[in-house]
Amino acid sequence: MYKSPATATVFIGSSRIKYDLDIDTWQKLTGREAIQLAMEGNSPVAILEDLAADQRFAGKLVIDVTELVFFSADDAPVRHEQKEYLDYYWRRTPAQRASFILDHALESQLVFLDKEGLSLNAELDKLTIPNRPNVFAPPIFPLDFSRVTFDRQDKMSPRFLADTNLQHQVQNIWVFLQTAGAAIASQHPSNPTPAIMQQVAVAVAKIKSRGGEIVFVRTPGSGPMAAGEDKGFPRAKFWEPLLAITQCKGIHFADDPATAHFVCPEWSHLSPSDAVLYTRALIGHLPESFVH
Amino acid sequence: MVFNSYIFILFFGVVLLLHNLPFPWKVKKINLLLASYLFYAAWNPPFILLLWLSTVVDYFVGKALYNQSNIHKKRLLLVISLCGNLGMLCFFKYGAFLQDNFVQLVNTLGINFHPAKPNIILPAGISFYTFTTLCYTIDMYRKESKPVGSLLDFSLFVTFFPHLVAGPIVRPPQLVPQFESPHRATKQQLLEGLFLLSLGLFMKVTLADSMLAASANTVYGTPTPLTALDAWMGTLAFAGQIFLDFAGYSTCAIGAALCLGFVLPLNFRWPYGAISFSDFWRRWHITLSAWLRDYLYIPLGGNRKGRPRTYMNLMVTMLLGGLWHGANWTFVAWGALHGLYLWVEKFFTDKKKTTPTLVIPTAAGDGIPESGPVMAKPATRPKPFMGGLPYVLLTFLLVNITWVFFRASTFSGAGHLLSSMFGFVQNGRPLLSTLAMIKISVIILALIILHWRLRDMRLVDIIYRLPWWALGSLWACMLILLILSQESTSTFIYFQF
Repeated sequence: MYKSPATATVFIGSSRIKYDLDIDTWQKLTGREAIQLAMEGNSPVAILEDLAADQRFAGKLVIDVTELVFFSADDAPVRHEQKEYLDYYWRRTPAQRASFILDHALESQLVFLDKEGLSLNAELDKLTIPNRPNVFAPPIFPLDFSRVTFDRQDKMSPRFLADTNLQHQVQNIWVFLQTAGAAIASQHPSNPTPAIMQQVAVAVAKIKSRGGEIVFVRTPGSGPMAAGEDKGFPRAKFWEPLLAITQCKGIHFADDPATAHFVCPEWSHLSPSDAVLYTRALIGHLPESFVH
Repeated sequence: MVFNSYIFILFFGVVLLLHNLPFPWKVKKINLLLASYLFYAAWNPPFILLLWLSTVVDYFVGKALYNQSNIHKKRLLLVISLCGNLGMLCFFKYGAFLQDNFVQLVNTLGINFHPAKPNIILPAGISFYTFTTLCYTIDMYRKESKPVGSLLDFSLFVTFFPHLVAGPIVRPPQLVPQFESPHRATKQQLLEGLFLLSLGLFMKVTLADSMLAASANTVYGTPTPLTALDAWMGTLAFAGQIFLDFAGYSTCAIGAALCLGFVLPLNFRWPYGAISFSDFWRRWHITLSAWLRDYLYIPLGGNRKGRPRTYMNLMVTMLLGGLWHGANWTFVAWGALHGLYLWVEKFFTDKKKTTPTLVIPTAAGDGIPESGPVMAKPATRPKPFMGGLPYVLLTFLLVNITWVFFRASTFSGAGHLLSSMFGFVQNGRPLLSTLAMIKISVIILALIILHWRLRDMRLVDIIYRLPWWALGSLWACMLILLILSQESTSTFIYFQF
């Protein structure tokens, strides 16, 4: 993160940039390192504010905007996890720092069980025991939907790409989450969007004042997911005002014919092969200072 | 450094290796001391200075206390030690709490006083090592044991890494003699130690963190009213979590020390099998309750100064015991509730003692009153009804109510949860999944049955009773489940105290 802006680019956002940015392609074409700090199912605003408050950061930053989570209220669950992680990061003890180095070395050489899919709790969750009415049960993603590489890129497995049943499982989860998200948003006493725009603008201004550069990116979606997002978060009310208030460049997938027609297997994320094509196109749109 | 981390496994492997190399005993002790400082510095290196200060001051003050014959000078030395130790504890642990309460008080009196909030970091384990060093100087004052011969032995007694951060709280006669002559684990001790380490990690990682913590956190983190079922399940989950977390730590500590050839005192003895509250406190955090008994309750007069004073001493001890756990009035309320339970128990015990033919089961479970006049001895010892199970369940139920104050960070939070538990809310929200409730029910039921059935036995004896294949299978299952849990290295709950 603190590497020279000439050698590294930092990415923050939600799961889409983790699937859609192919890090190998990025590094091969730009010769720069991709520091992937995005987190699945999380708004990047907390990390953006943390980078803005960190005087040592003055690099190149790409912010992935997935409106459903990006424009969620400060007290929404999608804002909690990043705050917890940041809190942990800044309060790490020497033992935790040493543990990280050791774990990093071990995890690069040995096979570990994926906590989300293969741990004891994950296996028990697969029993799908019916719950009482009105009990919220977090959705269980198929294991093949996400294989995480060592540099934090998410990839769908070949099995997932071949199995439409698995893809339908994830599509159903998006429908469920979109509905739940809309229900939560409708219960919120006030519209959080203006406050979030302001929060983001202040953070962006701080980074820019130190010489940092920022680009917003809207990655592809397709099918009913994209239609729902267009309806719930129209560009004119969210994307365009965001770029206007922050005075930043924005790269929207729909503006480029090369990226406008990708079909996401589960409506929301690109397949590994399309991620390569998307990354090439993204590099073409980013400012020179980000890629050379 | 926490026991449930890879870095501890590496650290412990190196310590074990060094301890088993053919070095002179003094070199081995220096190794252990340096390792203990490293273990402690792994949290926050500057706080090592506090540990040193406490060690050096109490070593020299302790020696002077023992040798001093002038009672006035002796008292002055004791005051220096108490002020040093308790002053440090008050500043770091209770500084912000005292300021908050003071500000509230003066604001209530109409004085507009709003100082900046102090940003004080609590040094890990300060409550534990303060009590360890305090008992040494008090023992020296009373001449109850001899001063430790060398600063090295005393430093190692205070700092020995298995007990340093969260106990068991050791007394000098329990550990110092073990440092005086070469100690190395026998093959049997090493195996026992490794088994206890595995068991402690299994309790902490697989059961407390993986199976119960999420449910307890969800229930206690929800501000809305809950159904009685969810509120009870959350509290039961916390009852299981706090035991498995803390007893897991103590088991690891005892196991780690045993691998090096040292024996630490037992800290838990099947507490959820207790048949009364006095019995509970003889089984839960034994080294703390023994400390409070010997250095607070008895010096206050214990039960030697009449009934009203006994009741008051009991309550003061429990209130301060509650406050020891954390700088929050909810912990004091937790202590007060336990004090109240002990009052009620004592009231009935005393009443039954005056009835010639009635003998109630005491804390020891032997049916013989602990103290006071025995009016008539029964010819045969009556067996408690159903092995004492109704008492066990009643004690467990009431202990759960106290856990609400221990876990909730505010009185309003505790009030909300108690209202939900006792059905005083309408339209309570269902929260926990069926699977979460099954996990809680199975673990809590297993804990109660195990604690009830094994309440008079020692864990080590049970291990040796098992056939080799059963012990091997049990051990293997624990290790497999530990690996399958894939939990991150969360800290132990008692580290915050």
